[in-house]
Parts: sequence; structure tokens; C-alpha cells
Amino acid sequence: MKRLNLLAWQIGVGLAFLAAWHVFSTVKFGGAKPPLDPFFFSTPLDVIARTWKSFASGEIWRHLWITLVETALAFGIGASTGVAFGFGFALRPKLAAIFDPYIKMANALPRVVLAPIFMLWFGLGIWSKVALGFTLVFFIVFFNVYQGVREVSPVVLANARMLGMNDRQLMRHVYWPAALTWMFSSLHTAVGFALVGAVVGEYLGASAGLGYKIHEAESVFDTTGVFSGMVILAAVVIIIDVAMTMVERRLLVWRPNHDSGAHQT
Amino acid sequence: MAAATPASGLRTEPAPALARNAVSLEGLAIAFALGSGGHYRAVEQIDLSVADGEFVAIVGPTGCGKSTLLNAAAGLLKPAEGRVGIYGEPLSGLNRRAGYLFQQDALMPWKTALANVAVALEPQGVGAAEAQERARQWLGRVGLSAFAERYPHMLSGGQRKRVALAQMLIRNPEILLMDEPFGPLDAQTRQIMGNLLLDLWAADRKAVMFVTHDLEEAIALSDRVVVMSAGPAARIVGDYSVPLARPRDIADIRLDKVFHEIQREIWATLKVEVQKAYAQGEGRA
Ligand SMILES: Nc1ncnc2c1ncn2[C@@H]1O[C@H](COP(=O)(O)OP(=O)(O)O)[C@@H](O)[C@H]1O
Ligand SMILES: [Mg+2]
Repeated sequence: MKRLNLLAWQIGVGLAFLAAWHVFSTVKFGGAKPPLDPFFFSTPLDVIARTWKSFASGEIWRHLWITLVETALAFGIGASTGVAFGFGFALRPKLAAIFDPYIKMANALPRVVLAPIFMLWFGLGIWSKVALGFTLVFFIVFFNVYQGVREVSPVVLANARMLGMNDRQLMRHVYWPAALTWMFSSLHTAVGFALVGAVVGEYLGASAGLGYKIHEAESVFDTTGVFSGMVILAAVVIIIDVAMTMVERRLLVWRPNHDSGAHQT
Repeated sequence: MAAATPASGLRTEPAPALARNAVSLEGLAIAFALGSGGHYRAVEQIDLSVADGEFVAIVGPTGCGKSTLLNAAAGLLKPAEGRVGIYGEPLSGLNRRAGYLFQQDALMPWKTALANVAVALEPQGVGAAEAQERARQWLGRVGLSAFAERYPHMLSGGQRKRVALAQMLIRNPEILLMDEPFGPLDAQTRQIMGNLLLDLWAADRKAVMFVTHDLEEAIALSDRVVVMSAGPAARIVGDYSVPLARPRDIADIRLDKVFHEIQREIWATLKVEVQKAYAQGEGRA
């Protein structure tokens, strides 16, 4: 009941926005042009029609596929190295202390400035985009896992040691689950950033992908094309987000506030 | 439900009569380094021994150093002075012969109740299938068969303590260290848990150091009650034996005349320390 109500409101807000956009971009209100000039703002119906067309003609699928492949690669490689380094540094405080300033420096760098360099190194193909996404994903996962492992409850740790666990067993039963938990809780953000990396990379120089499509439309002042690209991008983000939420529910059943439904045996 | 006694025969041949003290703390002092550079001397001149098979309760005002003593016996804290002997051997590193029930929640939150108990056997090299089987038996013994697949956050505080109890006991340690294990539970649950503990303990008496802030609970459960003074530099100010017959029911035993006499006697000592601790707390605030 409550959920339906919420959903109704969410849809209502969207429709209201579209209606306002439609009215202000098509009705002239006595002037020579509508208040939102369609040349700059397009109209919702045009955007929908264009989106429909690009799917119907099938030409968007190739771009979508490329962007998703880049996202998946950036996420996979970034998350696994992030876990490895976060884990390693958390268990070797000296190493972490030495590298600390460099990691902070690297993380403070705006990634966009790296894009041209990556293109120089990896070419205009997918790998320069993967590299860009990697630099975003790696740090998120790295910091989360690092923090997570270092903040393992000292009582849980002391208890595990009193149970007689050796270093390997502690790793397996305490540190590793703690690290994974934190990785999972950064999944949402990390996947989002992987996509951002891919799209920004494509935008700055590529021959395929959603970012490339948007850039292409922009360069000929095709606002409808730009908005259509953004709609597709937003839809992809929402689908990925829903999928992530489902994965997270699965993996984090042991956590409070993940309404998994009490286990009854 | 709990007819069987613990399955494993970990216990080796009896130790020589001279070394019958499971735990002996001799001239123990423990200090904490403070951030400001100084030291806080929590406990001092502690002489306490727990015989094999003896159930010793430790009471004292909050913050006096009860957990600190257990941590020293567990090998988690290094004493500043004095020594810790375990069955006559000086303790170095963790106390491998002790099980510890912590005051705070210490279960692995990412493991189910069953997995939490079963994992305690892994360090002893027990195979996964057998560990599961024995963990199931232990969950039965603490009355949690129906909750085996639950994660800690899906259990009540009392149920979590019972899982932790099973986790500690399944390893069959020779010494049990328990830190206010029933502290946060309601009165009825405390009684049920107390009787459960006594039943399990009676099966093969282990040496127990049982910390509590509840004097009645201490007397009802133990063979000996040790009273600590208010900190800093807390000491042992009283050591009373409890000559009540076993087996006991901890609800009924509170009605016993002897119980009341002991309680009055110990409270006379404890009261002074509690008031001292309270006054100090006031002064500091
Ligand atoms: N790590 C620590 N650093 C400084 N002081 C501590 C530390 N741990 C405990 N203390 C102090 O030592 C005293 C005894 O603590 P504790 O053994 O936990 O008391 P309790 O009898 O309530 O279990 C307390 O006054 C506490 O503030
Ligand atoms: Mg305590």
C-alpha cells in the first residue's frame, strides 16, 4: 500500500515534469516562439520518437554494447585490484603509511585530465575508457575495503583469536568477509563511476559508444539527439542500479536493515 | 534434549596434584597507557587462584577492572607486574586452554548461528561435516535448534549469548572465562541462562572465572565469590566461599537461609566499594 503510493508519487513527478516541458516547448503563449525554444530544448515527444527510432533501426545496440563492455571491464578490474590493495595495505600498516600521501594525491586528481593521456597510451578503442573507469572504481573500492578491514570489531577479532584461529583462519573468517562487505556496500557507487568513466572517455574521443553518440549529436546542434542519448544512459543506470540492489540483498543477508525476511526454520 | 555430555575427549591425563590450580594470578598489576602520556593503573596486587573444577565469581563496582582481570587470564593483556600461571605454567601469548565469553557481542555477524559454532572446531582440525553435526548438537543443548540458520542480528540478545556459549563450549576448553555474560538480559532470561550454564558446567566441571555485577547471581552460581575494590589500583578486598549444595536451581536457591546470610556478609563489603566508586564518578563528572 505505502510502496504503491510512493511509486504513484514518483511517476506523478516525472509526468508533471514531462508535461511542463511539453507545454513550454510547444505552446507559444502569444510570442513568436515557445518559452523553451525547441532548438535548444527539444520537446519530449521528439526525444521519445528519436529514442524509439534508434532502437527500432537497431543502430543504438552496438553503442550500448560497447559502453556496457567498457563499464564491466572497468568495474571488474578496478574492484578486484581495489580489494587486493585495500586488503594488503590494511594488513600492512607500514606499507600503507609510506604510500598514504601518494594515494591521496592520486585520488585528488580530477580524472578528466587523464583521459587524453590514456588515449595516447591505449588508443581510441575501449581500453582508454576502461582505464579511465578503472581510476575511478579502484579508489572507491580501495578506500572502502581498507577502512573496512581496519575497522573490524576488535571484540570479534579477539573472540576469533581466543577460538584458536591462526592467521590464515582469521583471514578467511574475519578479515576477508569484512573486506567483501565493504566492497559490496561500495558496489552501487563503483558501478556508477565505471559507467561515468566509460561515457566521459567516449565523449572525449572515440568512434563508438553512448558518449560518442551524445558528442556526435552535440557537434551538429542536434539537441534531440543529445537528450535521447541522455535518456538511454539514464535508463541503463537505473537498470544497473536495480540489478545491483538485488545482488546486494543476496550477498548481505546477514546484515541488519536488509529486509531479507526473517529466516524461519 | 540435552542428554549427551560433550562428545570430545580433549582432556588429557590429570595434571600432577601440585599444579591443580587452573589459573593463578600472582602479584598482578595492570596499567593502561593514556593518550596524555601518563598511565592509568587499573588493578594492583592481585592474588587470585582458581582451582581446577572450581566456579569463582568476581564482583565489584563497575569500572574496577573485572574485565581487565579476565583479559589478563586470557593472555589478551600483558600485566605490568606479577605473573599469570595456567596449570602451573607461566602464560605467554594467548591462553590456549581457555574459552572466553566476551561482555560485548563477539559473534561473526556474517555467519549464521550454526556456522559461528561450527567454525570454533576448525582450529582443532575437525572436518567441516563433523563440525556442522556437532554444532547442531550444541545448538540443541542451548535450546536453539530452530535458529541454526539465523544470522546474529536476527537473534535476541539472550539467543546471541547462547550461541556464544555454545561456540565457547564446543571446543571443550579447560578454563572458562565469562564476562557478565547475562548482563544485558532480562531477569527471567538470566535465570534460564544461569540454570542452563550450571547444567552444562555440571557435566564436566571446568574451572570458571565468572564476572558479574549482580551479587545474587554470583552467589547462586559459584563456589567462591571474590570482591574487588573500586579503582584505580583496585585490589581484592574479599574472598567468600559459598557452601550451598549442588545441584542448584538458581531461582529456588535465593530463598535459602544460608544464601541470605552469605549475601548480607558480602554486601557489607561490596557496598562500601560501590559507594566509593559512585562518589568518585560524581567527583569526576
Ligand atoms: N584501553 C584502556 N585504556 C585506558 N583505560 C582503560 C582501558 N581499558 C580499561 N580502562 C580502565 O580500566 C578500568 C577497568 O576497566 P574494566 O576492566 O573494563 O572494568 P570493569 O570492572 O567494569 O570490567 C576502568 O576504569 C577503565 O576506564
Ligand atoms: Mg567489564
